[in-house]
Amino acid sequence: MEPSNDVALDIIITNVVAVFRTRCHLNLRTIALEGVNVIFKPEYGKVLMKLRKPRVTASIWSSGKIICTGATSEDEAKQGARRLARTLQKLGFKVRFSEFKVVNVLAVCSMPFAIRLIDFTKNNRPIASYEPELHPAATYRIKTLKATVQVFSTGSLTITGPNVQAVATAVEHIYPMLLECQKPLRK
Amino acid sequence: MATVGLKCPECGSLDIVDDEHYSQPQLVCADCGAVVSEGLLTTTRSEETQGTDVRYTNSTEVDKKPCRNLINGIHRVRALCRILRLTFLMEETAETHFKQAYEHPNFIRVSLQKKEVLAGCCVLATCRQHSWPIAMGTICCLLEANPRLIGVVYQEMVKILKIEAPPTSIIDLLETHCQAYKLSPQHVHEELSESSKDLTKRAAVLLELAADAWLVTGRQPIPILTASIFLAWQSLKPTQARLKYTLARFCQMAKVTKSSIAPKRVTELKEVLCKLGQELPWLRGDEVTPQTVIQMVDDILNHRLTLLRRALSSHEEALASESVLPPSLENSLPGSHTNTPCLEGAASSQTPGQTPKEPFVGEPDTGSIQQQGDVDLTYTVVMEGLPHTGPGTDSQHSQPSAPNSGKRSLFEPPSVRYAKIRRVQVPVVEVTGDEEISDSEIDSYIRTPQEIRDYVEAKEALASSDDEF
Repeated sequence: MEPSNDVALDIIITNVVAVFRTRCHLNLRTIALEGVNVIFKPEYGKVLMKLRKPRVTASIWSSGKIICTGATSEDEAKQGARRLARTLQKLGFKVRFSEFKVVNVLAVCSMPFAIRLIDFTKNNRPIASYEPELHPAATYRIKTLKATVQVFSTGSLTITGPNVQAVATAVEHIYPMLLECQKPLRK
Repeated sequence: MATVGLKCPECGSLDIVDDEHYSQPQLVCADCGAVVSEGLLTTTRSEETQGTDVRYTNSTEVDKKPCRNLINGIHRVRALCRILRLTFLMEETAETHFKQAYEHPNFIRVSLQKKEVLAGCCVLATCRQHSWPIAMGTICCLLEANPRLIGVVYQEMVKILKIEAPPTSIIDLLETHCQAYKLSPQHVHEELSESSKDLTKRAAVLLELAADAWLVTGRQPIPILTASIFLAWQSLKPTQARLKYTLARFCQMAKVTKSSIAPKRVTELKEVLCKLGQELPWLRGDEVTPQTVIQMVDDILNHRLTLLRRALSSHEEALASESVLPPSLENSLPGSHTNTPCLEGAASSQTPGQTPKEPFVGEPDTGSIQQQGDVDLTYTVVMEGLPHTGPGTDSQHSQPSAPNSGKRSLFEPPSVRYAKIRRVQVPVVEVTGDEEISDSEIDSYIRTPQEIRDYVEAKEALASSDDEF
């Protein structure tokens, strides 16, 4: 964070999305029959399986691709994914845990000051966009990090990025710009 | 060139050439002119296909006509410009934008609906570039399209064409919006009519007030404009006739589309006015209700700066008296400097307040939002809100954690007033991804064979009972 200001911002990670493959075909009806906490969705061709301990929900396709959502950290996502693979193994499939990758991380952060959105968009013209008729927040896309930050006028930020490091860097990147557009102290 | 191997029967020369006599192919001797052999007058199909060198579409006979949808689109752009009475230059710019965007691969194969919307978006972008105030909602009404679709197409178009279209501020929108209201004496009864100029002025002041009280930022502009114009109309002549009008009837009378959100904004704005009206000294502390506040709006707006300061100071006093009650908590707060901002605030607000009713400057004449920068209602009180949250809530930043402490500041953004109760962060146990997985844990996720049998039986039983019906 900013060494000069000594401001510690709490970035709370709310969701981590990860994918992995099982390298074998999965029979969705067997999983739906023999698994607990399983929802079968034939119209989408997938099965939803929810785990309790790392609180994650997984979408399982018959091709063996699995998307795991709901974890609050990258390690938790991996733990949930491995538990899932183990469960499928126990159900009788020849599962091999492979190609695990964290795809998306969603985090929220709160600034201790309010922000003037119109000035913020003016200063960062093409990168930031603010359409109050469409969405109450200004959107700031950082191409190099592939991260998107949504800035609300109350000072809350919502950050999405490919991994936790990118999210932290994005907050550091945007903090000085927000600082210069904060709502002023009264005279 | 001579055809090889043929000899003219007349003169015997070998110089036989191919000739076309009125498109009838002939073999003619170059020396004596005798016709050696003739072809058919008509061509066979194979000759035709082999004979043509140039494709029909590429030949100069056929001009490349612009696609019919493009023509329709350009007509639509022109029509929109005429409805909105834009200048000729703007019409040209909009057309250019449309042509460029239409030809772009992102838009050439898109559905017809999107192409229609694209026309509207080009007009919108042009207006913004020339600082002509127009809201997206207006385009939405004119095209009768889904606002989300308009948003998507607009953002894509701006990205593709790389144009800079600065969005219009809400004050600029106000004037154009006001002109849409048919309230002149020829349209409505004399009692209910109002000139556009007066209406705009009064509504502009109300809008500034709303902006300070966090009612404008992040919200759709049109409902707020409608609400402020309605309240301005009612307050300019608060007779019984006008007060009886609801927002819906007003919109009907002024021939303006009504929105479902505008009534909420009216309520919010009235609340703000009530809070300020409470401070009017000649009321001597009487209750100000949303019904009675309209008559006082005139006074409130004229002296609004003073009233704001007084409202803030009285609110701070109320807070200070609250915080005196739990003395132990106060001592444990990070330094008693938290009280000094309150006192400072009170002191600074009292001194100007004491100078007798400082010049009631014609505030309603100015229409700029920048004027309100001096009295900021929110920042300091949001800051003050922070130290008051106890030491235990360090993990939750900035937002007052308990819903009861929402009354910290006088005017709060709605997201803070009705704060989402955040799921309490469970202290995270150190997790690495590669731990051992116990069998018992996994078994809890798998049904036992008995359970499977039960489940299948139950499903069959349900299915059969369904069949019965």
